Amino acid sequence: MVKAVPTWLRWLAWIFVILAALLLLAPLVVVVGVSVSESQFIAFPPNGFSLKWYGNALGSREYVEAFWLSLRLAALVTLSATLIGGAAAIALSRRRGGQALETFFLSPLVIPSIIFAIGMLMLWSSLFGVTSFLALWIAHTVVALPYVLRTTLAVLAESDPFLEEAARTMGASWPRRLWHVVLPQCRPGLAAGAFFAFNISFDEAVLSLFLRNPGLNTLPVQIYGQLEFSPDPTVAAVSTMMIVLTVTLIVLLDRLLGLNRVAST
Amino acid sequence: MSDLTLRQIEKSFGRTKVLHGIDLDIRSGEFVSLLGASGCGKTTLLRIIAGLESVSGGSVSIAGRDVTELPPEKRDIAMMFQSYALLPHLTVAENVRFPLRMRRRGSREEQVAQVEKALETVQLGHLGDRMIRQLSGGQQQRVALARAIVSGPQVLLLDEPLSNLDARLREEMQVELMEIHNQLGLTTIFVTHDQEEALSLSDRVVLLNNGRIEQQGSPHAIYSAPETGFASSFLGAANLLPVAVEDGPVARLADGQELALRDEETQRGDRMLLLRQEDLKIVPATTAGALRARVAIRVYLGARYRYMLDLAGQRISLTAPNSVHVEPGEDVDLTIAPDRIRLLAR
Amino acid sequence: MTDRREAWLFLVPGLALLVLGFVLPILRMLVLSVLGPDGLTLQQFARFFQDGYYPSILWRTVRMSLVITAITAAIGFPLAYITSRVGPRLRLWLIVMVILPLMTSVVVRTFGWMVLLGRSGPLATTLRDMGLVGRSFSLMHTEAAIVLGMVQVLLPFMVLSMLGVLSRLDPRLEEAARTMGCSFLQTIRRVVLPLAMPGVVAGSLLVFTLSASSFITPSLLGGARIEVLAGSIYKSVTQTLDWNFAAAQSVILFLGLALVLIPYLRLGARHG
Repeated sequence: MVKAVPTWLRWLAWIFVILAALLLLAPLVVVVGVSVSESQFIAFPPNGFSLKWYGNALGSREYVEAFWLSLRLAALVTLSATLIGGAAAIALSRRRGGQALETFFLSPLVIPSIIFAIGMLMLWSSLFGVTSFLALWIAHTVVALPYVLRTTLAVLAESDPFLEEAARTMGASWPRRLWHVVLPQCRPGLAAGAFFAFNISFDEAVLSLFLRNPGLNTLPVQIYGQLEFSPDPTVAAVSTMMIVLTVTLIVLLDRLLGLNRVAST
Repeated sequence: MSDLTLRQIEKSFGRTKVLHGIDLDIRSGEFVSLLGASGCGKTTLLRIIAGLESVSGGSVSIAGRDVTELPPEKRDIAMMFQSYALLPHLTVAENVRFPLRMRRRGSREEQVAQVEKALETVQLGHLGDRMIRQLSGGQQQRVALARAIVSGPQVLLLDEPLSNLDARLREEMQVELMEIHNQLGLTTIFVTHDQEEALSLSDRVVLLNNGRIEQQGSPHAIYSAPETGFASSFLGAANLLPVAVEDGPVARLADGQELALRDEETQRGDRMLLLRQEDLKIVPATTAGALRARVAIRVYLGARYRYMLDLAGQRISLTAPNSVHVEPGEDVDLTIAPDRIRLLAR
Repeated sequence: MTDRREAWLFLVPGLALLVLGFVLPILRMLVLSVLGPDGLTLQQFARFFQDGYYPSILWRTVRMSLVITAITAAIGFPLAYITSRVGPRLRLWLIVMVILPLMTSVVVRTFGWMVLLGRSGPLATTLRDMGLVGRSFSLMHTEAAIVLGMVQVLLPFMVLSMLGVLSRLDPRLEEAARTMGCSFLQTIRRVVLPLAMPGVVAGSLLVFTLSASSFITPSLLGGARIEVLAGSIYKSVTQTLDWNFAAAQSVILFLGLALVLIPYLRLGARHG
C-alpha cells in the first residue's frame, strides 16, 4: 500500500466503502427483514418478529417441490460440469495453440443467456414438442462449464509443467500420471469450479424461465412467478433461505480454498 | 552544510521495531552507502527519506527544511527502485520526462532537451522512442537511472539498483555510477547488501545491523578497522577466534598456542582475534612464531586455492596462490604480520 | 502419440456438449428468425423497424445499458482499487461484500429492490416523512429503479474484472510516480488508470452485454410500460407466442452486441 494518502481522502474512501456496502447488501438485508415480519404486507423495517412465514414456506407444496427440483438439478449439473469441464481443462492445458478452442469453450460466458435460452426452447420444441428436465440439465451444464474450465486452467497454469515429465521418468503410465500427478494438482480448481457450478445452477433464472413447463418450475422460477403476481412475506422467507445457502457456500469456499485466491482468478 | 539530516529516526511495523533512533548527517554531494543484510532496516530507512514510509519518531530534513510530514511528491528527491518501476504504458523518453512534467520544470522544449541530455549521459540517446518492454534488463536499468537524475534532485536515492544485473553488467554500471556522480555531484544514498559495491562506490559507508548504525566511516577505515565482530565479519571474509591477551604481550588461543602482539597492546583479558583471509600466509612448517593448523578442505578456484583449516578448535578459511600446495589432512604453519592483527572486544 | 489421443479423448465430451447443446440451439434460433410460412424471409426484421415502437425499445435498452455501465464503472473502479490495496483482512471482507450478492439469485436481489423502492419501502417513507414527495410517491416502475437495481446486480462483475488487473499491478509503480512529483490523485490518473484499462474495458463490456440482455430485473422493477429489448423477447415467447419474431429480436440483440464486442476482441488478440 502506498503511504502518504491524504487524510481527507482516507475518510472519503471509508465513506465510499460504507455506501458501496449499503448499495450491495441492502437488498439482501431487507429481504431477510421482511421474512421475519409479523405483518402480512411487505414492509421494511419489519413489524414485530415472527417465523410463521418460514412455516408457511415449508408447508407449501409448490416451494418444496421447486426446491427439490432445483437441488436435484444443481447436484447433477455440478457433477456433469465438473467432469466435462475438468477433462477439457486438462486436455487444453497441454495443447500448444489451444487458444481458439479455449475461446470456444468460454463462449457461453459471452453469449447472453437469453439468446441461448430461446434457441434451446425452440430446438427442444421442434424436436420433442416439450422441454424436459434433460433440457434444463444440458442448458445449465453449458453455462456452468466455462467456470469449471477457467478455475481449473488457472490452477494448472500455475503448476510446474515438468511434474508430469518427471513422473514419466519415474515410470508412470498415463492413467497413473493422471491419477497421481495431474488430478491432485487440479483439485483446488475443480473444487472451486464445482462450487460455482452448483451456485449457478441453483440460482439460474433465465434458462429456467424459458424452459419451464407446468411440471418443471425451479425455485428461482417459482419466486419470479410470485413476484410478478404479488410478493408476500412467504416468498421473502424462501428468498432468505436461498441467501443462507449462498452464505454457507461462500463460507465453505473460503474454508476449503481461500476466497482471496478464488476471487483473483 | 549538510544536505540531509536524520535525527533519532524510529520505525515500528506493528509490534516489531525495525529502526532504533538513527542519526545521520550527509554532506552536499556526498555518496553514502547504507550497507547491511536483508532485514537490517536499510530499505525502510531509504523509504523514510523518500517519504514512502512514515516515521514512528524522529525527523528528516533536506537542505535545512524539515520534510518529516511531507509526502514524497513534495520532497525534492529522486528514487531508483530495485525493480526499476518503469511505467510500461510510456516510452523511454516519456518515462524520463515524467518527473519534469510532474514537477513542472521548465517549458516543453527545455524538458525535451533535458531528457535528451539525461539519456545521453546513460548512453541511451538513440532509444528514446522505444517502449519499455522492448528493452533489455541492462537498458531498463539505465532508463531508470536517467529518470532519477534528470530532475537534478537534492537527494538521489538508489535502492539496490544493481542487484538484478549479471556480474559483468554490474561492474560496468558501477563505473558508470561513479562517473555520473563525479560529473553531477548529486547527494546520493545507495542501499546495498553487497559489501564490495559499498566499498568501491562510496565516500562513506554506513553499516546497519538490526535497525542500528553499527559503524560508519570511509570505506578504507571501515574495512581496515572494524570496531565490532559484526562489522569485521560482514566486511570481507574474516576469521574470528576467542583469545586471552596476556603479558608479553601475546594472544593465547583456546588450544594454548601463542601469537605475539605489538608492544603497544596494553589491554589484558578475553578478546576476539580478527584474522583477515588475505593477511594470513601459509609458510613452511616450523617457522618461529607461527600458528599450527590442519588442512580440512581444499577448493580449487583457478588462480588460487581456498583452504578451510582447523585452528584451535575453530574452522577458519584463507586463500593462497597456486604455488602453495598442501593436501587435506596435512599440518601447516600460518603467519600474520603483527601490525595486521586486530583485537576486538569479546 | 498416446498424449494426443488422450487429449482428444478428454476434449470430446465438452465439444459434443457445446456443439449439440449450445451451437445447435443458437443455429436453430437463427434459422427461425428468417423462416416464414413460405420459405426464407426478412419479414420479421422489417416488422421490427416498421414503426417507431420497437426501435424505441432498442434505443431505451442501449441508452440505459450505457448509463448502467458508466455508473457501474464509476463505482467499481474506486471499490476495486481500495480492495486491491488494503490489508488482507479487510480485503477478505470487501471480497465477501462483492461476492455475496453476486452469488445470490438475481430474482432474490430484485425482490429486495422491490421492497426498497416500493410505496411502503424505506426510501419512499423517508422521503414522504421529510415532506419532499406526495402520498402516492413510489420509485417503482421508473427507469431510475431499473438503473439502480441493475447497477447493484452488475457491480460485482465490474469489480471482479478490475480487481484481477489491479491486484497484478506493481505498487512500486505508484511509489515511483510519487517520488517523481505526482500527488496521490495524479498517480491514479496517470499511472493506475492507464495500466488498469484492460480491466476497465473488459468489465465495461461484460456489464454492457449483461445489462442489454437482461429482462428479469427490468421487467420486475420497470413494470409493463417501461419495456426493454430482452423483456420484449420474453413477451413474444411467452405471451404472444410469436417465436419467429422473438428469434428476429434475439438476432438483432445478438448482432448489436457483436458490433460492440468484436472490435474489442480483435484488439485483444493483437495485443496478446
